[in-house]
Amino acid sequence: MLGLYIHVPFCAAICNYCNFNRGVFDADLKARYVDALLTEIDRAGQAGRAGGADTIYFGGGTPSLLEPGEVGAIVAACARAFALGADSEITLEANPETVTRDRLAAFRAEGVTRLSVGVQSFRDDELRRLSRLHTAARARAAVGEARAAGFDNVSIDLMMWLPGQSVADWLASVDDAVSVDPDHLSLYLLEVYPNAPLREEMARARWSQAPDEDAEAMYLTAMERLEAAGYRQYEISNVAKAGRRSRHNLKYWTDGEWLGLGCGAHSTQGGVRWKNVSAPGDYVRRIASRSDIRDEVRSMSADERLGDALFTGLRLTDGIDLAALGGRYGVDLWARYGGELDRYLEAGCLIREGPRLRLTRRGMLLAHEVMAVFV
Amino acid sequence: MDPSRIRNFSVIAHIDHGKSTLADRFLEITGALQAREMEAQVLDAMDLERERGITIKAHPVRLSYTARSGEPYVLNLIDTPGHVDFSYEVTRSLAACEGALLLVDASQGVEAQTLANAYLAVDNSLEIIPVINKIDLPGAQPEEARRQIEEIVGLDGSGALLASAKLGTGVPEILEAIVERLPPPGGSPGAPLKALIFDSWYDAYRGVVIVIRVIDGTINRGMKIRLMAQGQDYESLQVGVFTPRATEVESLGAGEVGFLVANIKKISDAKIGDTITESARPAAEPFPGFKELKPMVFAGLYPVEGHQYPELRDALEKLRLNDASFFYEPETSAALGFGFRCGFLGLLHMEIVQERLEREFDMDLVTTAPGVLYRVTTTDGLMHEIDSPSKLPDAGAIRTIEEPIITAMILTPAEHVGGILQLCQDKRGVQKKLEYLAADRVLITYDLPFNEVVLDFYDRLKTISRGYASLDYHVTGYWPSPLVKLDILVNGDPVDALSVIVHRDMAYERGRALASKMRELIPRQMFEVAIQAAIGGRIVARESVKALRKNVLAKCYGGDITRKRKLLEKQKEGKKRMKQVGKVQIPQEAFLAVLKMGVDKED
Repeated sequence: MLGLYIHVPFCAAICNYCNFNRGVFDADLKARYVDALLTEIDRAGQAGRAGGADTIYFGGGTPSLLEPGEVGAIVAACARAFALGADSEITLEANPETVTRDRLAAFRAEGVTRLSVGVQSFRDDELRRLSRLHTAARARAAVGEARAAGFDNVSIDLMMWLPGQSVADWLASVDDAVSVDPDHLSLYLLEVYPNAPLREEMARARWSQAPDEDAEAMYLTAMERLEAAGYRQYEISNVAKAGRRSRHNLKYWTDGEWLGLGCGAHSTQGGVRWKNVSAPGDYVRRIASRSDIRDEVRSMSADERLGDALFTGLRLTDGIDLAALGGRYGVDLWARYGGELDRYLEAGCLIREGPRLRLTRRGMLLAHEVMAVFV
Repeated sequence: MDPSRIRNFSVIAHIDHGKSTLADRFLEITGALQAREMEAQVLDAMDLERERGITIKAHPVRLSYTARSGEPYVLNLIDTPGHVDFSYEVTRSLAACEGALLLVDASQGVEAQTLANAYLAVDNSLEIIPVINKIDLPGAQPEEARRQIEEIVGLDGSGALLASAKLGTGVPEILEAIVERLPPPGGSPGAPLKALIFDSWYDAYRGVVIVIRVIDGTINRGMKIRLMAQGQDYESLQVGVFTPRATEVESLGAGEVGFLVANIKKISDAKIGDTITESARPAAEPFPGFKELKPMVFAGLYPVEGHQYPELRDALEKLRLNDASFFYEPETSAALGFGFRCGFLGLLHMEIVQERLEREFDMDLVTTAPGVLYRVTTTDGLMHEIDSPSKLPDAGAIRTIEEPIITAMILTPAEHVGGILQLCQDKRGVQKKLEYLAADRVLITYDLPFNEVVLDFYDRLKTISRGYASLDYHVTGYWPSPLVKLDILVNGDPVDALSVIVHRDMAYERGRALASKMRELIPRQMFEVAIQAAIGGRIVARESVKALRKNVLAKCYGGDITRKRKLLEKQKEGKKRMKQVGKVQIPQEAFLAVLKMGVDKED
């Protein structure tokens, strides 16, 4: 089954650390953009590219800046084009300052089943440093409003290794997150890109990120606390209560297929990966003129597909089944990679259990060291 | 050909003072090449030479010039290498000339290189015509340059010609002066053949091509000839001249310059400085001044990937075909595996070989710290020449160690004298002379251990003098020194390729600096890496590279696996350029860390 990713490239303000494909909200452009999206979805359906789909993920940008009716129209279009089943997972990313109980209830009524709240931190000083528009209190309230609006599947995004953040600061946010009782959490290490405005602000204000040793402690301790609170880690950055794993995101890690709709969205189908043009205006024009909206198209060789399946699969706590994958691609994976993997097995980053290979928790922090073996 | 109608000359100039541009103008004016068929700077044939703006090999060009008097002349322009590493080749090229142009940049003035080569020319009794070039540039100070030519070089500046080789200004006057002011070659046409080899190279089709200056007699095609130092007879198959294209002629007579092909297979059989004579009627004495060129600077060259060893061997073999002064022999390092110990004339020569290997042969190389040739006398009284720290006998077995000494001439503006003297003292130098050549030009002469100069002297000299000091040197002898081997241990194991030989009094400081530099250069690994510096088994410095704690980017934005793959590929590429020593991955530049220590200190 396909996953559908819908990109919403608008934000009320631009965060100083973010390099995603987004721009400042513009009501007129948004309206034209949603029309274009509906057209792209219809066309994808007509082109027969559509198999059945069972997940939709509204990502951004700030998808919660869309009106509930717009989200509903998009969901309905997807349902028509992709024979969406009744038990589909439909996730909306939402920023705390953009929602109210009523608004959330409206999203729920339009078919959204899962809410991913961009909390990032439960400390106001940290939120300010990240130029976020909400406060910790607003974030807490937003989760409560989601429950009241009928959402039984709520996720929270948190970021660690923030400028000026100590291990204790971070763990306080983790504890606060546990106290609002989400069903799922995503925990990310902040990455300060070379050209991010945050980098400049950090230099000016003399904020720095804690040493790598602390970043390691942040990650490992948070995972322990969350497990003690009843969550299970299932992927490098994700934990969930039983039955609440993100079905959409799992497609990325399990050699699945997904279509990305909207500007800058990435797709993988039939051994081809492609990306739509990035700029919303360009995207809208191309849809209107029926020209190709794809920007980068890459047909993967069998080796690349296998490599991608290996390194993405390793993100999961279950790891990868080398026998099964090797069988599917006709390669003896131990013979090919065993020698290079030895050092990581020895260093305690990897564990081999029968046909399965998985990262240890420490290994997850070093995942890129290991994954580079497969490219 | 009538020797009175021949002028043999070379151009002495510092790098960038416009030698190649001037040569191009000569070619244009004499019609040797039409402007449109000229690639810029024809004489610098190798890419590398063009990029670096230096001449490595000497190429003679025969110019047909009609003087203002209406009489035809042959001008042989004998190009000389412009770097101290090739000073022997310079002396041989100068020996083939009767005169020289001393080219001085009107804004830069006289540099140490120019001075050293001008002295060589004077020693060879060459007639010198000073030329002040680049007079068109805004910063040009021709009168100051003229004054420096008089006061520093000691030549009559009143006869200096003014020119802009770039614009062609003054170039016809230079050609005329060559005819009028330089003497024609002497030599006796009737005497037994005596020809000086001043360059040679390997040509895949013809074998070794030798460039000669005929001193006495005549060389003909088909003549049986003898290389006097070599003691080997050959048959002359082709003789010719460069116009600049190779053009065959029947014979070359006394005073003429040209090439010879004689079915010589190896470039080492046609040594620069050797004398050619006729087998049937040999000259009594060879042309004086021949010496065997010996490599002075040694370093290990290893392929980053062990399986490239045979390719490296083939590449070195091919380079050696064209470069007799470059030496190599197989060497095995416990750390780096199979590679080669290579000998070079100097640091520039080493860089050139390295670059050619990487560029022309697509080799990925690890180069170890360059060192010099030590003379070690062991307790059994035997003397050993040691070209690698790993070959240094145990301290207990050594009676004495001697290290090569250079005499360095440093020419600098007066304001930098203090800093330079301090540097020379730091480098264990002994001051020989300090002369004010002009109000603001000081010539500092020092005896310095060559090893210190090889390490980081030149970079520091340039830093201290903000680029204004220039250096020339030659190896003048050996002196005994208390030298010790400094080892670097990585995770407890000595890494042979990181060892260096240093003076005992500086070993401790060097060890600390080297260990600390290594800590900067070695990236974090899966485990902690201990770095130690040791002298004779005693640890003098300790550093550690902490274990890698994290290397993961969490967010995967909307299923962008391609970006993830690119990141991983980049990471893998970075690792490939590192050398695995035991379990530790060491980047290529770490093996040259010893070269980079002093430079940072100045910053």
